[in-house]
Amino acid sequence: MILLDAVRWIGTHPTEFLAALQQHLLMSAISLAIGLLIALPLAVLILPSRVGAGLTVGLVNAIRTIPSLAILAAALPILGIGIVPSIVALVVLAVPPILINSLIGLREVDADLIDAASGMGMRRAQILWRVRLPLAAPAIFAGIRTAAVQIISGATLASFIGGGGLGDFITAGIALMDYSRLLVGAVPIALLAIGVELGMASLERRLFVAKSA
Amino acid sequence: MIQLDAVSKTFPGTTTASVDAVSLDIPEGATVALIGPSGCGKTTTLRMINRLIEPTSGRIRVAGQDVSSGDPILLRRTIGYVIQNVGLFPHMTVAQNIATVPRLLGWTQKKIDARTDEMLHLVGLDPAIMRARRPSALSGGQRQRVGVARALAADPPVMLMDEPFGAIDPIARTRLQDEFKAILRRVKKTVVMVTHDMEEALRMADRIAIMRDGKLLQYDTPATLLASPADPFVDAFLGPDRAFRRLALMTVDDLMTPATGTPGPALQPGTTLREALSALITARADTARIVAPGGTVMGELTRAAILAA
Repeated sequence: MILLDAVRWIGTHPTEFLAALQQHLLMSAISLAIGLLIALPLAVLILPSRVGAGLTVGLVNAIRTIPSLAILAAALPILGIGIVPSIVALVVLAVPPILINSLIGLREVDADLIDAASGMGMRRAQILWRVRLPLAAPAIFAGIRTAAVQIISGATLASFIGGGGLGDFITAGIALMDYSRLLVGAVPIALLAIGVELGMASLERRLFVAKSA
Repeated sequence: MIQLDAVSKTFPGTTTASVDAVSLDIPEGATVALIGPSGCGKTTTLRMINRLIEPTSGRIRVAGQDVSSGDPILLRRTIGYVIQNVGLFPHMTVAQNIATVPRLLGWTQKKIDARTDEMLHLVGLDPAIMRARRPSALSGGQRQRVGVARALAADPPVMLMDEPFGAIDPIARTRLQDEFKAILRRVKKTVVMVTHDMEEALRMADRIAIMRDGKLLQYDTPATLLASPADPFVDAFLGPDRAFRRLALMTVDDLMTPATGTPGPALQPGTTLREALSALITARADTARIVAPGGTVMGELTRAAILAA
């Protein structure tokens, strides 16, 4: 019944719904892209240093324990309200899984392969591009997948700092005590998160499992 | 082809030298085995030749050129490198693996393709079947063949092999050793291989360098080594049956004398002295006849001659 009301509301307010959906997806995609652009080069950078890598992983794991809402709240006084602080907060959410997975993936490449590669005269950059990155790709991809799901759900909270997105319907629903409105936000977010998870999992299987067999 | 001149390596944080003033002269086209117990410095010595490890002191020359003078990366592209666990790239096909160094050298795709097929033929694999396979679909022996094909792809004058047969099961190993020896002869490479297996060294190498605690104890041909070990350690390392091993290196052709008509077991030319002695003991005879496959008696061989060899 409530669900039906929610669907009906979407039917009567398509522009509002689509705008929020678009905002949600855009915010998520931008955050994921920035997160990847920060985390992957950072993983490559700290790879040679055992101490640097240890410190970074420790720091990142510490950040990971901070609730998303707290990060959003912390971003508020510094960056104000709107989409920019929301993206910053979501990037903070995206970096840890990508960074840690990339670092582990790049590091766990068989030492014999690195020995063979350098023994045949590959330069550092060539070893990175031709050996380490392709072999770490499944681990990196798994990190991106985790980050994507976290961002999709995390973006809900952007509504609290004026970032918009599907979270707006949830905050409105709570404020108005209108459960159907709440579901207009909640159900698509859940479906998106599940869809991204399943979609990327199947892509991962197709990209990496079939290849290595 | 390769000269090591008082080469030493002391790793940072250690006080004793892992390799201690080793001098070696490896002639062009020879296969030299570096052998010794683990920790003797044989692998370190090998890895200093292509500068995966930099020596603390001493000089290494390859084809007359001091290896420390140029870019180590460019040096390595001119030296074939084979390791125990092969190190084939699992995300690349067999053909892509073999093409590694030619690609680094910027060959055209056409030249690379032709060379890849040539190399697969050389190591006894069918290019049509193997080219597109991934390393995970190969047997251990096939992987090692691809590893050698990859090392030979850019036609380097020198090959370094670190325990190349260590991961191969014993039955396939002997066959592969003989085959690789023939291949390396055919392509006229100067080979330095590290092994801990004396049988392998005797089978494959023209000269053997025995190392212990970073020092070179003896560097000789297998026959000389077996006949006159330089010290008790080398003697012990060669094993209690070194006399037999030595006989296995010589054939009846070396000691054959003109036939006198003495009866005895018939042996074919090319039979090792070890097998000849065994045949004589079995037949309780003093003289063996050397008979060509056609039935012509070529000469004879006495037990005394074998014992005096």
